[in-house]
Amino acid sequence: MTPALELRGITKRFPGVLANDAIDMTVRTGEIHAVVGENGAGKTTLMSILFGLFPADAGEILVRGEPVRFSSALDAIRAGLGMVHQAFRLFPTLTVADNVVFREEPTSRGLIDRSESIRRVGDVAERYGLAVDPTAVIETLPVGVLQRVEILKALYRDAQILILDEPTAVLTPQERDKLFEVIRRLRDTGRTILFITHKLGEVMSLSDRVTVLRDGRSVADLLTADTDPEEIARHMTGRDVDLDQRAPAHQPGEAVLEVTGLSATGEHGRKAFREASFEVRSGEIVGIAGIAGNGQNELIETVAGLRPPDEGSISLNGADITDAEVLTRRSAGMAYVPEDRHGVGTSHRASVWANLLVGHQRDPAFQRKGWFDLRAIRDHARSLIKTYGIRSGPIGAPVSTLSGGNLQKVVVAREMSHGAPLLIAEQPTRGLDIAAIEFIHDRLVRFRDGGGAVLMVSAELSEVLALSSRILVMFDGRIVADLDPSKVTEAGIGLYMTGAHEDGPDG
Amino acid sequence: MAEQVTVHRPTLASKVGAALSHPVVFSLVFAFALGWLIVYLTGRDPGFAYSEMLNGAVTGSGLRNTLGRAVPIIGMALAVSVAFRSGVINLGGEGQMVVGGLAGALVAIYTPGPGELVIPLAMVAGGVAGAAWAMLPAFGQTRLRLPILITSLLLNYVARAITGYLVRFHFLDDSVTLTSTRQVPEIARMPRMPIFGGVSLSLALVIVLVAVAWVVYGRTVSGYETQMAGLNGRFARYGGIQVERQTVGVMVVAGTIGGIIGTHMIIGDAYRFIDGELVVSGLAWTGLLVALLAANHPVMILVAGLLFSGLQIGGLAMQRNADVSWRLSQVLQALVIVAVASRLTFGWFKRRRTGPSEGELEPAAVGEV
Ligand SMILES: Nc1ncnc2c1ncn2[C@@H]1O[C@H](COP(=O)(O)OP(=O)(O)OP(=O)(O)O)[C@@H](O)[C@H]1O
Ligand SMILES: [Mg+2]
Repeated sequence: MTPALELRGITKRFPGVLANDAIDMTVRTGEIHAVVGENGAGKTTLMSILFGLFPADAGEILVRGEPVRFSSALDAIRAGLGMVHQAFRLFPTLTVADNVVFREEPTSRGLIDRSESIRRVGDVAERYGLAVDPTAVIETLPVGVLQRVEILKALYRDAQILILDEPTAVLTPQERDKLFEVIRRLRDTGRTILFITHKLGEVMSLSDRVTVLRDGRSVADLLTADTDPEEIARHMTGRDVDLDQRAPAHQPGEAVLEVTGLSATGEHGRKAFREASFEVRSGEIVGIAGIAGNGQNELIETVAGLRPPDEGSISLNGADITDAEVLTRRSAGMAYVPEDRHGVGTSHRASVWANLLVGHQRDPAFQRKGWFDLRAIRDHARSLIKTYGIRSGPIGAPVSTLSGGNLQKVVVAREMSHGAPLLIAEQPTRGLDIAAIEFIHDRLVRFRDGGGAVLMVSAELSEVLALSSRILVMFDGRIVADLDPSKVTEAGIGLYMTGAHEDGPDG
Repeated sequence: MAEQVTVHRPTLASKVGAALSHPVVFSLVFAFALGWLIVYLTGRDPGFAYSEMLNGAVTGSGLRNTLGRAVPIIGMALAVSVAFRSGVINLGGEGQMVVGGLAGALVAIYTPGPGELVIPLAMVAGGVAGAAWAMLPAFGQTRLRLPILITSLLLNYVARAITGYLVRFHFLDDSVTLTSTRQVPEIARMPRMPIFGGVSLSLALVIVLVAVAWVVYGRTVSGYETQMAGLNGRFARYGGIQVERQTVGVMVVAGTIGGIIGTHMIIGDAYRFIDGELVVSGLAWTGLLVALLAANHPVMILVAGLLFSGLQIGGLAMQRNADVSWRLSQVLQALVIVAVASRLTFGWFKRRRTGPSEGELEPAAVGEV
């Protein structure tokens, strides 16, 4: 049987980087094919070439045995491909149906037929078990649903080969399970799925076959049934990796961050969280667990100074910062890795060095009387790039040329580099490869052991469990539990996260 | 020999191709080609029209006039770019120029003393007045959440009305039929430099302003912070940049430049403040177009400003000598901007066959990874 897809000798060079180096890959019809590799290995580049977003410098693509040459994504779509990008591409103020039928709108007498498009989108959604309301407006929907909309977009165009770039990075475990059901159902209808992930557990449980990329080359093509996570990791990194580790406990010191009775309002005028009280002491990592949308993000934004509190107080090292400007908080010793690395944590069109500088542009190390010490700034940027293993071209290039994981490293490196006594980290390892996660975890632990205080939010329960000295669980805008990680299991935390313990804080 | 030729040709073709794939270069070629067609269709000789335009812009007194007109165009482009680059949509350049122009004119007319004193004083007065006028929409946005985009634009009409009233009822020169102030005394006029047949000293001033902008953007904390705010406001706030305070500062700078240019137009060009003249000239809007074409880059503003100035001055000569209306210059300016704004490139035409690629129709990214 002819394979669904064959790539031969795909090569792509960007200024200073060989992103894809003569990659061969065969994808059989009706299989779930995982593509893994470290940050910057060339996964997104390969998929983008496959989807016609930009041309390869060399190489050949065959779809069902036919050589194809895509000059745009529209060609790829016509050939039966669909892609869900790492960052979604949806019109926020339009409805689900409008987004799905975009450029393929059903018409009646030359006008767009809205009710027909709603009907058709509803049909497709139902056929594949994608729970989405076609009339909902995009900006009101959680990320898990947005992703289903992206998948709908592809299915509406009758994609036979579906490419998913890190689809699980933004999902809660429940959403992820739903996505996996959908993917399996699609395979059972004869579709072919290519998906990128950094989580080897997902590779093992979902895929039939896995291709490993390293430094732009394809280094292994394995049957999932015949391999194990250690082998895959070895191919990815070229060395042995310890996949499981728990940080040893440590003796905490003085309170660095104290939050008392804090409440704030969310986007839609509803209370996002109320009466939050907790402290983070020096030498401890406090993890916040919760299903996305239960107030964690707003709580962190309020502490970081990006959202005004309704009541309550925040103090940092004993000084009240409840109403302080971001700059004041930063100079008082707060660093912050935000959840939204595209919209908040980086500025796409700004250079790599400009992105590595933000928040410290007024530090005496980088300027005198308002004049930049450009050499110090560049040296600092280069040393961060080296220490954190950020793969980038020249530091004057726009940061948008970095791969997803390397962008995340830019944010983490910047925030951890100034020795601020309090680090607030939202999803610190989202999108990172195994080695980078290991490295960041190691940094966090060393920072803690050096007397730093960390407030961490993560959708990865395993991460929260592995690193935290204490775990706060949020549900419906309240902190419902304060748990000792050595005494709980993922399942136990899960009960608090879903509100199964309604009797208030304990534990 | 023959071999050399065959080797040489593709490189030249590919160089031309590369240049054409640059959106600005392509836009210029696109505009002039379409202009060519328009002139041709009206039955005139496009080659002759263009050569008369070029001659008119750079030969004889043309060069002096081109440089002279470039002063306010570059100045106003710089003023608007300072705001745009920081993410502040200031459309009030015209009002800031008019208010500053009248303030500068009055100081120049009524202050006794030597030119060395009166001229700088007039410039300062014009700058301060322009800045004060620009602060109205700035505070409107930071305190009352009224978008600068709208208020600054509407205040242009208010500026015209107020200055018109002041001139008509308080500072009217009865000896002429214009609604105008008295003439700026000889001694308080902007001196001319002994180059290119006598260009206003203000040309040196705008070149200095461009250089200052260039240095500020490349080397200073303020330049960095304003640019970061312009590129991504949420990122800037997150990085501790005080965007609101900065908005006021940026408007003050833009207004100051606008006011200085307005003053120059009176004491260095018209020598009297005539009601509505600065508005009718459309200089603030030409400046806006230049800033767009130059993508707000100070040095490119210098180049683009000279180009548009040459188009306007050359257009007059073309009308005289080739019987093609000077409005062609405006058409060309507009075509360039339309092409730049729609990011028209050579590749765009090639891609038409298959439709634009996904990236070009990129809706805002929501959610993230
Ligand atoms: N437009 C571009 N310009 C320059 N370099 C680029 C561009 N796009 C990608 N690169 C570089 O190519 C390499 C591969 O990037 P790619 O995005 O394919 O990595 P990836 O495997 O998807 O990584 P991640 O897991 O971090 O998302 C990186 O070094 C990246 O910096
Ligand atoms: Mg990627």
